[in-house]
Amino acid sequence: MLGQLVVSGVAQGALYALVALAMTVVYRATTVVNFGQGDFVMAGAFVVYVLVVLAGTPFIAAGALSIALLCAFGWAVYRGLIRPILAGPHLALAMMAVAIGYALRGVARLLWGREVLPFPRVLPQGSFTVGSTVVSASDVVVTGGVVVTVLALSLVFYATALGKTAQAVFQSERGAALVGIDVAAFQGTMWAVAAGMGAIAGILIAPITLLYPDLAAATLIRGFAAMTLGGFGSFLGAAVGGVLLGVGELFVGAYLSSRLIEITSYLIIILVLLIRPSGLFGKKIAVRV
Amino acid sequence: MRIGERRLDDPEAHTVTRPSVLWLLPLALLAVPLVTNDYTQYIVNLTLVYVLVGIGFNVVVGNLGQLAFANAAFYGIGAYTAAILLYHYKMPLLLAIAGAGVVGGLAGTLVALPALRGIRSFYLAILTLAFGELMRWVYINADAWTLGSMGMHVPRPVLFGYVLASEKQKFYLFLVIVTLLVAATANLLRSKVGRAFTAIRDNELAAAAMGIPTARYTILAFAWSGLVVGTAGALYAVLVRQVSPEAFGLLELILHFGIVVIGGLANIAGSVLGAVVLTLAPELLRDLPGYEELLIACLMIAILLVLPGGLITVLDRLRLTLLFRERYHRA
Amino acid sequence: MAADAHPLLTLNDVSVGFGGLRALSKVDLRVSAGEVVAVIGPNGAGKTTLFNAISGFVPIDQGRIALAGERIDGLMPHDIAAKGVRRTFQNGGLCGHLTVLENVLAGLHSQTPGNLFSIALGWPSARRAERAAVARARELLDVMKLGPQAAQPASSLSGGQQRMAEILRTIASRPPLLLLDEPAVGLSPPMRTELGKVIRDLARTDGIGVLLIEHAIELVMDVSDRIAVLNYGEKIADDAPAAIRLNRAVLEAYLGHA
Repeated sequence: MLGQLVVSGVAQGALYALVALAMTVVYRATTVVNFGQGDFVMAGAFVVYVLVVLAGTPFIAAGALSIALLCAFGWAVYRGLIRPILAGPHLALAMMAVAIGYALRGVARLLWGREVLPFPRVLPQGSFTVGSTVVSASDVVVTGGVVVTVLALSLVFYATALGKTAQAVFQSERGAALVGIDVAAFQGTMWAVAAGMGAIAGILIAPITLLYPDLAAATLIRGFAAMTLGGFGSFLGAAVGGVLLGVGELFVGAYLSSRLIEITSYLIIILVLLIRPSGLFGKKIAVRV
Repeated sequence: MRIGERRLDDPEAHTVTRPSVLWLLPLALLAVPLVTNDYTQYIVNLTLVYVLVGIGFNVVVGNLGQLAFANAAFYGIGAYTAAILLYHYKMPLLLAIAGAGVVGGLAGTLVALPALRGIRSFYLAILTLAFGELMRWVYINADAWTLGSMGMHVPRPVLFGYVLASEKQKFYLFLVIVTLLVAATANLLRSKVGRAFTAIRDNELAAAAMGIPTARYTILAFAWSGLVVGTAGALYAVLVRQVSPEAFGLLELILHFGIVVIGGLANIAGSVLGAVVLTLAPELLRDLPGYEELLIACLMIAILLVLPGGLITVLDRLRLTLLFRERYHRA
Repeated sequence: MAADAHPLLTLNDVSVGFGGLRALSKVDLRVSAGEVVAVIGPNGAGKTTLFNAISGFVPIDQGRIALAGERIDGLMPHDIAAKGVRRTFQNGGLCGHLTVLENVLAGLHSQTPGNLFSIALGWPSARRAERAAVARARELLDVMKLGPQAAQPASSLSGGQQRMAEILRTIASRPPLLLLDEPAVGLSPPMRTELGKVIRDLARTDGIGVLLIEHAIELVMDVSDRIAVLNYGEKIADDAPAAIRLNRAVLEAYLGHA
């Protein structure tokens, strides 16, 4: 039983980690907290749905197209809506991210109303047993998908020119600009990456939870819970926080009450901020005033 | 010199009460029921409720400059408190509304308490998001009181023995309550309290260095906001006679954001304008699911890009707000 | 003007560390009422940390800070400010969205009576308190000839005027101790002379103790009764201006070792 919870929890948590990682990317690159990330996830899933169910595109191609489309969208959002007000008050940036999220949700609701859409059956069915634990194939695929994404991004981060740029900008935006780095182009790329990661998360989440506009809110709050638990701004924290959240939710459901699964992320946020605001790996955040 | 403008060497220029001019608006509104039918009167009443929502929310988001997602929660807490007090405890109407305000204020205080431990900016914002979502779970699960996801019916409002059966009768009650709370908020914002909020928003360290206890004032802003928006929720419950969990979630919240951003942040006249625009607009455009959400979001994006001070700045430029110029108007 | 037996501000053996770094190391310092003490030193010497420690924004690891004999280290910044320690900030501490008048009024915050209820309900006592505060603020603005700008947003003033407005805000509440963090940055020479006169008046006429961080050496020499020199977090000299000018340790610190 315990093993089962851990296995399923890790798979679920991997998705939360992916969402949290995407939000951390945007935050580290532009110091904007993307309150619209959940909607990128939802949008990625919806695009695949449209392509597969309505246009008959094969799943892999639809997935790739969705990721590409979301990347372009993320880049466009940065250039058109974020960059123009980046120098202004932080509140305006946050409200812009909120508004973008709501706009995406509005489009989805407009097109699909109150329907909850069943996602096309794309993940392999079936499972295998390890000892007394049942590991479903979809668990493996989801976890594998997230791990592959994270590995690919890490590779880019540590081994490519883009990665070097990222390291420089994350350290000091002004310093990076001084040495000639095109910060605007970099930030646009990061928003594209985050949107793409959102699309991947959406494609992996939707088969499990079904597809509906408010998936965005549920995803966003879990991303925040993962980031808060792991420590805001820390990539390792986002990953670890996500996995712990996934496992935690299942534990709460199994040992306490299934009614409480929904609020696990809220409680984690509240408890962490009250007890240890910097989370597991984050920097000290409480101000001394 | 224009009407409503005060000379700077006037010793009354900074008194905490507004000049008599602003009181003309509610007095003028007394005549409204003469020209409305029951449905349009309902819209006017709803607008009054949202004026209060905007006024309350603007204190936190506009004046204090703190992003917050708890407003729909305060609204719901106020509505449910009033409903519970009226339905389960058969409390008199005014007491139930006051009770809703008090509970809203307590909720605001509770949400912002972590500020005492140094929690600020987007961490506090995320905390309010968690709180808001937690409240919706509470409405559904505390079903001994809230009757769960089916929602609650609110008994007919009775004021001093008279049943407020029609929208016009409710209007007078709403007008008095809204006017009093708006005036009180205006008094606060035009005093050292309002200055403290703006000082914290502009430069929290400098504010502390001036002797302003910034955590306490952050909590005060949320408490006041909770009080005002909670009262709005109570009025809403009386207006529609039905409260249910879905009415107080993120879809409601975008409306609140819209009111303050589109109307004008940190601006009382802006909150009023935002409430009018966002209550009337959905009525003029027949509803498709999601249409309102999309429209409000796009309007917000446009305002943030082009007119960050909100629509009220347009009226200002046209000098139409002469009579209602807010002493502390700022973008 | 002589350093007397009743110092206003005393620092005893104060150390502040960040991680492995010692930003301040066993610093002793005294400032008396009516005295102007300048703190100078190379960049990174710990001057701003000193101010942050005194005003409560940074905790001290060791030592004691006292105002008029009463210990203030460990208190919250707003409490320290209410007790009479006011400061300016290097990057400008004015609130851009408030008018000049409102900024000065904000400086009077802790001394303006009025609680939530009396203000919200518009009671006469609250109104009276507000009027009195406005009168005092206007007085101050007129002294500095900023009266005409009173209703303008603070961000619309010129750099020099903003500096003056910030100082006005800090002295509005008649604090016994004033910390000025590089007030002369960006000011033209005639404005610096004006600033020097203001600082001297604050000390000599109003009896305020002034602690001043400043790089502009002429200004420092002109207004200071004493100069304390920091280097790598340690105080390496504390003497009258004339003596400091000839101090070898100070010269070495600025010019590097021969």
